[in-house]
Amino acid sequence: MNKLALIIYREWITRVRRRAFIIGTLMVPVLLGLGVGLGAWLENAEMEENKVLVVDLSGMITFWDDTRQAYLPICPECFPEREQLEYRFADAALSDDEFLLSDFTSMVLLDDAILQHGQAKNLYEKSPSITAQNAIERDLAAAIERFKVKEELSLDYEVYKRLKTKVSLVGEDIITKDGNATGRSIIGFVFSLFMFMQIMVYGMHVMRGVIEEKANRIVEVIISVVRPMELLAGKIIGIGLVGVTQVIALTVLGFLVFQVGGQALEVSGVLTSASNEAVELDFETWMASNDLLGFVLEVNWPLMVVCALAYFAAGFFIYAALFAAIGSAVEQESDAQYLMLPAMLPLFAAYITAVMAIQNPEGQVAVIGSFVPLTAPILMLIRLPLGVAWWELMLSLLGVLATAYGFVLVSARIFRTGILMHGKKITVRELFRWVRHD
Amino acid sequence: MPSAPALDISGIEKRFGEQRALAGVGFQVPQSGIFGLLGPNGAGKTTLLRILNGITAPDAGSISFFGEPLTRAHLPSIGYLPEERGLYKSMRVGEQALYFAQLRGLDKKEARERLRYWFDRLEVDGWWHKEVSEVSKGMAQKIQFILSVLHEPRLLILDEPLSGFDPINAQRIREVILELKAKGDTTILLSTHDMGSVEEMCDEVALLNRGQLVLNGKVPELREAARDGRYAVTFRDTVMAFTVALGASAELIEVNPNPEVPGEHLAMLRLPVESDIATWVRWISEQVELTSCTPWRPGMRDIFIRAVEHQKQPVA
Repeated sequence: MNKLALIIYREWITRVRRRAFIIGTLMVPVLLGLGVGLGAWLENAEMEENKVLVVDLSGMITFWDDTRQAYLPICPECFPEREQLEYRFADAALSDDEFLLSDFTSMVLLDDAILQHGQAKNLYEKSPSITAQNAIERDLAAAIERFKVKEELSLDYEVYKRLKTKVSLVGEDIITKDGNATGRSIIGFVFSLFMFMQIMVYGMHVMRGVIEEKANRIVEVIISVVRPMELLAGKIIGIGLVGVTQVIALTVLGFLVFQVGGQALEVSGVLTSASNEAVELDFETWMASNDLLGFVLEVNWPLMVVCALAYFAAGFFIYAALFAAIGSAVEQESDAQYLMLPAMLPLFAAYITAVMAIQNPEGQVAVIGSFVPLTAPILMLIRLPLGVAWWELMLSLLGVLATAYGFVLVSARIFRTGILMHGKKITVRELFRWVRHD
Repeated sequence: MPSAPALDISGIEKRFGEQRALAGVGFQVPQSGIFGLLGPNGAGKTTLLRILNGITAPDAGSISFFGEPLTRAHLPSIGYLPEERGLYKSMRVGEQALYFAQLRGLDKKEARERLRYWFDRLEVDGWWHKEVSEVSKGMAQKIQFILSVLHEPRLLILDEPLSGFDPINAQRIREVILELKAKGDTTILLSTHDMGSVEEMCDEVALLNRGQLVLNGKVPELREAARDGRYAVTFRDTVMAFTVALGASAELIEVNPNPEVPGEHLAMLRLPVESDIATWVRWISEQVELTSCTPWRPGMRDIFIRAVEHQKQPVA
C-alpha cells in the first residue's frame, strides 16, 4: 500500500469502526421512524377529553327528538364519533355558573350571525387544544353548509355534492414530461439537508483530526515521512470516505426498510385501490397510484445518488480543505471558532436558500446558487429531481471541482506551515502571508 | 579512499520572517558513530533537524547524505525521534506501530516481525492490543523510540531520546543506542541537553548557538583543548603542610578530604602554562607525600557553558 493509501485507510478505518459511527448510522432510520411515530402519537395525545355543548339558538343545525328527549344534529355524520371529542346540543345557553358546574369543557353559541360573518363564540374555562378547535370548526362548518344548501338553495345535499367541483393542477414539465414538482423538490431538499449535514459533520472531523495531530505532536513524525500535501489529501479523502460509507449504508438501509416495509404492508392487506377498496395492490403499484407518494417512484434515483456522491465529494473537498487550514492554524478547537464563522457562512447561506427554494426550486436565487461553487453542492440537489439540463449539471460540477482543487492548493500552503507552528496566535493576515510564501 | 561522511552540512541558512534561525551552519557527521548536536534552547537545533528530515527546506546551503545530495528519496533511510512526540490516542498500540512502520516503507509482514523483536526487547509486548490512551507516558516513549529504529535507518536522529524515562528505562534505551553504534550500520545524530549522555555516548559534537556553529570536534579532543592548566592531585599530609609546600609554584583552587581514602586529601590546582609537570611533581614530592597527579579535563557541561557565554556577538 502506498503512503497516501495508508493514510486514507487509517483515517477511514479508525472512524467507521467506532461504536458511535455504527450506532449513529443504524439509528438514523430508526430515529426517523420514531420521529414519524412520535409525531402521530403527539398529535393524538395532544387532544384531551373534550365535551362540547353546541347551543343552536336559531335551530339551524339541530332538532328536538321526542323519543330521546334531547336535541340532536340534523346531520349526524357532520359530528362523527371521535375518541376525545363528544358533542351535546341545546337551544339555550347555560349560565356561567351552570357551565362551570357542568362537565362541559366548552360551550359554542350559534345564531343567525354565523351566516354573515362565519363566527361563533366558544366559551371555556380552559382553552381547548388547537387540534380540538380545528375539529370543532370543521364539524360545525359541515353542518352549517348543509343548512345553507337546503335553506338558501333549496337543493338536496347529494345534488349539491355532485355540482361542487374541485380543481387541482397536475404539473408537468414540458421538456422532461415530469410532474409533481413540489413533491420532488421536497426530495431534493431532503438530499440538500443531508448534504449540508454531511459536509458540516465531516468537515469538522477533518478540523479535529488536524488539531489532534498538531496538539499531540504526531505531525512532526508523519511529515518527516510524507509530504504535508499527501497528509492533507489522505486526511480529506479518508474522512470523506467515512461520509460516503455512511451514505451507502443509509441508502442500503433505506432500500431495505422500503422493501421490508412494503412487503409488510402488502401482507397486511392494507394496500387497496383508491377506486375500489376490495382490490388489493402490491406495494409498487400502490405507491404509483398514490397521489401523495407516487412521485417517489418518478424520481431518477440512480442519477440523484450519483450526483449526490459527486457533489458531496467535490463540496466536501472545498469545505474540508478550509477546515483543515483552520485546524492547522490553531492550537485547540476553541481557538478555531472565530475563523470558522466566515468559512461556514456560504454553507449556511446555501442551506437557508434551500429551505426557501422548496416552494420554488426553479427560482432565480436557487438557479444562480446552483452554479456558485460554494453553494452548488447543496442547491443543485434541490433542483435535480425536477430535471436539470446536462450542460448545467456539468458546468456546475466542474465549477465545484475546480474550486475544490484551488482550495486544496491554498489550504496545503497554510497547512504545511501551520501544523508546525506552536505557541503563537495566528492572525488572518499571517494566513495570507503563508499562502503567498512559496 | 576514506568513506563519505554520513552528513556533510554546508552553509545552511534559514530565516523565519525577520528571525534568522540558522546562519551559515556547516559541519560533517562521520559514519557509524554517535554525533552530538548541542546548543541552548533557540540555538537552531530543531530547525536543522527538521531540514535534515525534509520537514522544512533551507533558504541556502547544501547537505550531502553519504556522499549524495540529500533528497526526499533518502528520507526512508532516516529515522527520526522528535523531542515533541506523540501517538494517536484512539488507535491500538500494535496497529499504530504497523501504520508508522508501513509509512516508513516496510511491508506489513516484515514490520510485524521486527515489531515483535523490539516489543519483546523493550518489554512492551503485552501492550499490542491496548489503546494508546491506556498506556503510560514511559511506555508510549518506548513505542516512539521503536518506531524510529524499526526500519533500520542509516541515519538515526534522536532529539532528547531519554527525556521522560525513569532511570532504569533510560539506561535500557542508552544501551540500545550504544548497541546500534557498536553494530556500525547506523549513524546516530543525538540532540540533547544531558551532558552526561554526551560524554558517555558521543564521539563528536557540534555546538550551535544563535543559529551559528560555535564548536565542533571529537569529544576527547575538545576536552583536551579546553584544558586550562588545572591538575587534580591527592596527597597524604595536612592541608597546612601542602599549602606551605606549594608556595607560589601553583594556584590552589580547592582542597577537600578524600572521602574514599582516609587521611588523604584531594586538591585542584592550576600550574603556570610554562611549568613542566614532571619537574613540578618531583619537586613537590620531596616536601609532601603526593599519591597522584592527573591533568584535569573540563566536562562537556563546562565546555558548553563557556562556549555559549563567550559568544556574545549578536547575529545579524
